[in-house]
Amino acid sequence: MTLAPIDWIIIVVYLASCLGAGLWMRKFVRGVEDFAVAGRELNVNLGIASLAATELGLVTIMYTGQLGYEKGFAGAAIGVLMWAVIWIIGRTGFVIGPLRTAGVMTIPELFEKRFSARVRWLAGLFVVLGGLLNMGIFLRLGGEFLVYATGMPPGWLEWVMTGLLGLVLVYTALGGMLSVLVTDYLQFLLMGVGIVITSILVIMHLGWGNLIDGLNTAWAAGAASSGTPRAHPFNPFHSSSFGWGYLLWQFVFQIAAASTWQTQISRVLAAKDAATAKSMYRKTSFYYVGRFLLPGLWGAAAFVWFSQHGGLPEGLTTLTAMPQYLSIVLPIGLIGLVVAAMLAAEMSTDSGYMLTWATVIYNDLITPCLRKPLAPQSQLLLTRGLVLGIAVFLLFYGLWYQVPGNAWDYLAVTGNIYLASVFTLLVAGLYWPRANAVGAGAALVLGAIGPIVFLVLGKTYNIAPEIAGASSFALAAVGMVAGSLLTRPPVRAGADSPSPSLSSP
Amino acid sequence: MKDPFVIVWTLLIFASIFWYGFLVFYVGNKAGKEILQMTKTLGESKEAEKKPPA
Repeated sequence: MTLAPIDWIIIVVYLASCLGAGLWMRKFVRGVEDFAVAGRELNVNLGIASLAATELGLVTIMYTGQLGYEKGFAGAAIGVLMWAVIWIIGRTGFVIGPLRTAGVMTIPELFEKRFSARVRWLAGLFVVLGGLLNMGIFLRLGGEFLVYATGMPPGWLEWVMTGLLGLVLVYTALGGMLSVLVTDYLQFLLMGVGIVITSILVIMHLGWGNLIDGLNTAWAAGAASSGTPRAHPFNPFHSSSFGWGYLLWQFVFQIAAASTWQTQISRVLAAKDAATAKSMYRKTSFYYVGRFLLPGLWGAAAFVWFSQHGGLPEGLTTLTAMPQYLSIVLPIGLIGLVVAAMLAAEMSTDSGYMLTWATVIYNDLITPCLRKPLAPQSQLLLTRGLVLGIAVFLLFYGLWYQVPGNAWDYLAVTGNIYLASVFTLLVAGLYWPRANAVGAGAALVLGAIGPIVFLVLGKTYNIAPEIAGASSFALAAVGMVAGSLLTRPPVRAGADSPSPSLSSP
Repeated sequence: MKDPFVIVWTLLIFASIFWYGFLVFYVGNKAGKEILQMTKTLGESKEAEKKPPA
């Protein structure tokens, strides 16, 4: 173990503060609206902190570190794309503006207003399926970071992650979005400090010139050898790196993710109004560059360090090299702070995701099937039970599933199960008056085919993730256009109205 | 360091470190105040709900 008593004190104080703050917010929860969208009282800066904390999990740090190890700084090109996309969405209000104005709690709820109850239910199913599969690997990847960064025995991984999830579960199930917001705030602060300190220490440890030279040398040596060349460490457009095709697909994918991904959208829906949501997006956008680039820097530094010290030790992979390297770089005392920061990253993501998917299951899968509405207390109890159910699922699926290929591709493809189809429904529903329920149903089913085929057969038939991803967007669009044009147009709210009304009363 | 890609990544890395450090203080301060305001608003609405109608 590389942790000293002072490290343990920092970690325990942090965990106790989070639990205390989360439980404190419980007293403000009066009903499902407070529980799911914080009574729509979210303002810009708290929104930024919450969005940043949720979208930067330990799983993010692991896969962006892996991209940095395998592709150098070029691996962070996706972060730059996200910066551009999120800023543009924040500037224009594309999708998020009308979505917030509609006054719904989840995306599928909007589909009932625009299409039909059946479309809402089916979309809810896809949202939950894609979201839960996506979240499934969070725990194991997070646990692997802790094992390698702290020197913790690997046998402890399951127990540590179970304990951590249990802690998150307590405050998420009791305080809902209100607890998530306040704990996200604490986690945002700690994560920010941890990431800045770690990045500075990594640069000081290796030396900036040595890092750049090391990456260049490895690239030149790989290009000269007859074996498989290493990816270009700086140029993401190079054929050995992502290449144009993959980056183009990622651009489309990130537009869909930033305007459709329910955990991100839940902050939009909790915002005071559309202007607050747009401002939140604009001000968070540059955060996404560091989200990829700073852990990517640690991964690239790990690559150079191990290359200069006899290669990657046995038992380490491109995924676990970065945390192992950090255990060398971080001194006693600081490692406690960084581990607490990484725990913060894991906890904020887990809480945000558990709450989001539980809200969708309650709001879009269960509520439409009820003959009469539940009493407010029963609604709360049911939503809390769903948070618990998701935690149990995570423990079992998350700790035995083996990721096919690299972690980033798995996350992109599972997210795509609903992103392609739900994005198509959202865009068509908000901006194309001719879109109808048949088109929506066809888009949902066709959009999910590509990613599901990749998940089941991707390894056997060597299907490229961008092919699976791009085909799902194309199929969803074809389904929407063909289904809508081949059947009757939707009934309009009024003769002068361009599309069925979506605004909340 | 003549490679334009190296220059861009170098700038982005140092800008990100600065930006993360800045956000911790700036957003940290403002969001802290927003939490206090939010709890005050929620507390007041809860109290208002408890009071019987006049």
